[in-house]
Amino acid sequence: MNRSHHADKATGVGDPQCFKGEAGPAKFKAGDRVRVKDLPDIFYTRTMQYCRNVVCEVVIATHESPAAEDEAWDNCDNPEWFYIVRFKQQDLWPEYPDTYSNDTLQTELSERWLELV
Amino acid sequence: MSIHNKLKPSKDAPYPDTFDHKRWRECMKNPHDVGGELDVPMQYEEKEEEQWELNTYVICECLAWRGIWNAEERRRRQNVDFGNSNYLALPYYGRWLITAARIIVDKQLVTLTELVNKQEEVRKRYE
Repeated sequence: MNRSHHADKATGVGDPQCFKGEAGPAKFKAGDRVRVKDLPDIFYTRTMQYCRNVVCEVVIATHESPAAEDEAWDNCDNPEWFYIVRFKQQDLWPEYPDTYSNDTLQTELSERWLELV
Repeated sequence: MSIHNKLKPSKDAPYPDTFDHKRWRECMKNPHDVGGELDVPMQYEEKEEEQWELNTYVICECLAWRGIWNAEERRRRQNVDFGNSNYLALPYYGRWLITAARIIVDKQLVTLTELVNKQEEVRKRYE
């Protein structure tokens, strides 16, 4: 078993801070309108199905890290940018009442899941 | 609008010629992806962790510290790999604990035979 795990890499630095500078330039910036891709769910993802194909706004590029789909099998070779994105609740849930039409939901998604509208 | 953000009733296993892509996507949905699924309110209980829960957390942290897994691999194993029925049936730290046992077998740190024998030995102490 490989014992040179990223526990070593993260010690004293933190995770995801230990991946800083490894993802290249961020593809999206604050204010960009992006759509969440509907990629396959097989085996593992943290991208909720309810936000697939829904358009949202990039709030900030937060950090670099291996995507959940890679890191879940201990593959840390290709870190990518993560973004906090903001949805309108009414865009996510068809039954969401007009009374609360200003409600938003924020979550964090990795770059592979997003495309410019 | 996404096709996924609707409540879905459970169904019997379909015949192969009726199994379409929509059903496939429903089957592949990760057990921890519960957003929008039907549930009932839970009673909030103000209680401290059981001792075994605290011990379980420490075991899992040690496994990470020693490079056996990282947090995302742990989450995959305890939230998704065990499947929907166990995700809903086991207590939260129960899933952590069974996953810690599973990883040491999967990564061949102990054999399942050794683990089962040990479990049996410990159980007999309490007979």
